[in-house]
Amino acid sequence: MGEQVGQKPKRELPRSRVLVAEQTAKIYRDAFAAKARGEKVGWSTAIFPQEICETLDIPVLYPENNAASISAKHLGGELIEHAEGAMQYPSRICSYARLNMALADKIQDPAYSKADPLMPSPDFLLLANNSCTQLMKWYECLSRDLGIPIFFIDCLFNYYEEKPAKHKITYIRKQIEKYIWDMEAFSGKKFDWDKFLEVQKRSQINSKLFDEIIRLNMRTPAPMSGFDFFNYMSCLVLARGKESTTVIFEQLKKEVEEHIANNTTTFPSEEKYRVHWEGIACWPNLGHNLKTLKNYNVNAVINGYVTAWNVDYEPGDLDSMASAYASSSTNSLSTNTIMNMRADTIENYNCDGMLCHVNRSCKMMTFHIFVGRHIIEERTGVPCANFDGDQSDERIYSEAQFETRLQGLVEIMQHRKEANHG
Amino acid sequence: MADLPEMLAELQSVADSPKKMLAKYLAQGKKVVGCFPIYTPAELVHAAGMIPMGVWGGQVNPSVAGQYAPIFICSIMRSCLEFGMLGKYKGLSAVIMPILCDSFRGMSGAWRVGVKDIPLIALIQPQNREVDGAREFLAAEYGVVKEKLEEIAGHKISGDAIENSIAIYNSHNATLREFARAANRHLDVITPKIRHAVMKSAHFMEKAEHAAKVKDIVLKLAELPEHKWTGRKVVLTGITAEPGDLLDILAENKIAVVGDDLAQESRQFRTDIPAGQDPLDRLAGQWLSRSACSVVHEKTSARPDLVIKLAKENRADGVIICLMSFCDVEEYEYPLLAKTTAQAGLPSVCIDIDQSTENSGQARTKLQTFVEML
Amino acid sequence: MFTLGIDIGSTACKAVILQDGARVEARAVVPLGTGTSGAGDVLQKVLAVKNRQIEDMERILVTGYGRFTFAGADSQKSELSCHARGVNFLFPSVRTIIDIGGQDIKAMRVNAKGFLENFVMNDKCAAGTGKFLDVMARIINVKVNDLGEIGLKATEEVNISNTCTVFAESEVISKLSAAVRIEDLVAGIHRSVAKRVASLAFRNGIVPEVAMSGGVALNKGVVALLEEEIKRNILVHEDCQLAGALGAAVLAYEELHK
Repeated sequence: MGEQVGQKPKRELPRSRVLVAEQTAKIYRDAFAAKARGEKVGWSTAIFPQEICETLDIPVLYPENNAASISAKHLGGELIEHAEGAMQYPSRICSYARLNMALADKIQDPAYSKADPLMPSPDFLLLANNSCTQLMKWYECLSRDLGIPIFFIDCLFNYYEEKPAKHKITYIRKQIEKYIWDMEAFSGKKFDWDKFLEVQKRSQINSKLFDEIIRLNMRTPAPMSGFDFFNYMSCLVLARGKESTTVIFEQLKKEVEEHIANNTTTFPSEEKYRVHWEGIACWPNLGHNLKTLKNYNVNAVINGYVTAWNVDYEPGDLDSMASAYASSSTNSLSTNTIMNMRADTIENYNCDGMLCHVNRSCKMMTFHIFVGRHIIEERTGVPCANFDGDQSDERIYSEAQFETRLQGLVEIMQHRKEANHG
Repeated sequence: MADLPEMLAELQSVADSPKKMLAKYLAQGKKVVGCFPIYTPAELVHAAGMIPMGVWGGQVNPSVAGQYAPIFICSIMRSCLEFGMLGKYKGLSAVIMPILCDSFRGMSGAWRVGVKDIPLIALIQPQNREVDGAREFLAAEYGVVKEKLEEIAGHKISGDAIENSIAIYNSHNATLREFARAANRHLDVITPKIRHAVMKSAHFMEKAEHAAKVKDIVLKLAELPEHKWTGRKVVLTGITAEPGDLLDILAENKIAVVGDDLAQESRQFRTDIPAGQDPLDRLAGQWLSRSACSVVHEKTSARPDLVIKLAKENRADGVIICLMSFCDVEEYEYPLLAKTTAQAGLPSVCIDIDQSTENSGQARTKLQTFVEML
Repeated sequence: MFTLGIDIGSTACKAVILQDGARVEARAVVPLGTGTSGAGDVLQKVLAVKNRQIEDMERILVTGYGRFTFAGADSQKSELSCHARGVNFLFPSVRTIIDIGGQDIKAMRVNAKGFLENFVMNDKCAAGTGKFLDVMARIINVKVNDLGEIGLKATEEVNISNTCTVFAESEVISKLSAAVRIEDLVAGIHRSVAKRVASLAFRNGIVPEVAMSGGVALNKGVVALLEEEIKRNILVHEDCQLAGALGAAVLAYEELHK
């Protein structure tokens, strides 16, 4: 989600990346401008039905994405310390939450400018708990501290493997309907159902386009360093329903296809091993991750995290939309479901191993790794390695441990390759 | 009627060794269904003629649970998984698990892999309780649980049976609330550990049976002259206040518990099942009326308000925040609790509750210091 | 009239004899913690200073982790109350006390009389404690008592990002193999302790003036960096390590005059 992270560009940034940076800057700029005009600005969880505010043309920013960007720039430490210190939050809660609640507190002082990117203080919150329950607690705190309302879509959890049952879809659809009316009343704007349909269609086009692009990395060797996908996630989080995202993705698709045609890649060394990366990136340590992967010739060609935003539904059908939001996030699905999806991916992308980020902030993703590991090993036969880290808190990750674990994984992958060829 | 110490000792023994109760009910030919914390429709199990039994882990340093459960998840869930994997819950026909937090999301998967011989009945309560449809959703969710319980029981669960169980549960709630009030008049007899045992034993006994025993205790207490407590008084808030050692430290420091907002104790008894036409709808209505609990979505400061009210009404000198290790829902509420109680002039101290480690000297030091401060 | 305070800590035992609740008659430190002969040794040592007998002591009050197992005490109090009172004796103007002990970090707020107003302690984790410094000193093969001086000679602080003692250990080892200057590494270790402690102090609220007690207060490197982190001066008394024992002796005197 963080922009311009990963390897230091030796060459000029591809056009698609320039467009991403411009789009993100514009979204932040527009939000600040709206705030300055006295209009309402919202903060939203990453997989909330963005289509409604997009339709109403209300600016919304995304704390999870923002926290990732701040962390990737190594600017999160001071905020996290503020959350744990003066604000008294235990250090064990999600680091995105700690970082963001501290930011929300700091930006009440108009002179505060240390974090980058800054966000305007919100006037309302959009909460969907499909990614986790901590989001709900985090937003409760924001709502209380800032005295602002929450618009909540409770997305439940799919504890079994079947599709969301009828009563679940009905409950979620009713919430989306109520949210539309409530947001109309709150904003004083009329909801345009025709425009809504267009936004829904646009969101579907973008989701599917990104999915197509990712699939291009099934090729061996991959045209893209898997980490590069992280750079485009802001499009899916901040601008899933925008036409500018379509432009970016079309450009990106062209670039990837060019790499395939020219037999080139953005991966900075020879791709000897292909792995599936499981879990959120360690944003503050992305540089070290990538450097180490490069040194060991390991391309993390695919990761489940970049596909989590593929909210697939039938435009115009609220039930279908409700069902999609109930089952889009990695963390809203049972371990069986998610790990069988991962096993499919490992087979489709021809991965030699799985590298799992045991993310201190994310209980659910870690559970998937611990509980589902046998599914991966049994179904695909590839080795898995875990390493400790965190999405924002630099104090958890250990460079030495990461390298040792990766090296161990590489040695197993190498051994298996040799055994297969000999 | 037995004498009071015997009655209290009996409930203490139930609280200390639920395994004995499980064996007892199984020996009576009853089926027993485990109920995970914090809120499950145990009334449905009861209505099926089976015994709902709380599953709250216990003091254990997990050796096998680490295979599926990361070290940084809720301490209760890790112990439950450990016990499950080691076969300590053998005899349970199923377990009901409410997906109330992220640890539960993960546990639902871990249980199915780690404890294959005890089937999981999962359910989820709606958190957006303001929306029209939340109640209907939960009634339907309970309907699914009911069907699964019927399979286990081998017969249908009638509406009348559920209504009957609801009456027993509501009456049990009232009895436990009455006990809490009576206990405060006899703080010499009802020590923190005994108070806890009476409350906790409710999880491991059939509710009518438990209510009868607690009623007898209340009657016996009424025969005693009211005791004038000269030590300090506190209110506890959190998921649990365990192990017993911790409560012994309270007693050693002349601290009495005069009220609690513990998930394992009073949160279980303070919200009745409302009146209504349909029994499943009534059960759903109870979830909609729950408040001041960290697993329930609320935008207000209902929980600190309730803790302060409890403290003021019972003339408590302070509040002990029992923070369950790696319980994120509680951790998010900690600053609010600490600040709001302080503003109300109530000193508080925060104690780590962890089932995986022996009670450290730190808790003792903190509690002693707290008393010295009051 | 004499009162005796003994602080039986996890890594050292300290004792103070106080005359009439006002004047320090004798002091002693033994670098052995609870469960060893430290408590007995420190008692003998403190009595020997002015050749006193145990019978001369009107009242003995013990504190610290070994306070429950020490026979021969008239009463015991938590180390927090004792540190608060001890620091108040040394620096009456202090309202915030930071104590880094062998296994605990404590941030305390006290009133003008030395009564505790509130406090917070670290969770069950060695990060930032005296124990953490012991482990680090062992890895880089220097005496823990020398860390302070070494750290002050740093020219370019090395960043130690891990708070987990085990991970920090491997991080320090990898920096060592990267041949960074020991002084810079020690400063990095001190910074990591200072950040951890500052966070706890902020959580409890900081009211000036601020003092440090406990053995780690003797480490000038940690104190200097902690001053930077909390943006305030920190008072350190030469008897800082004895604050708990001193407070115990004061409290023993007060108990006699209740």
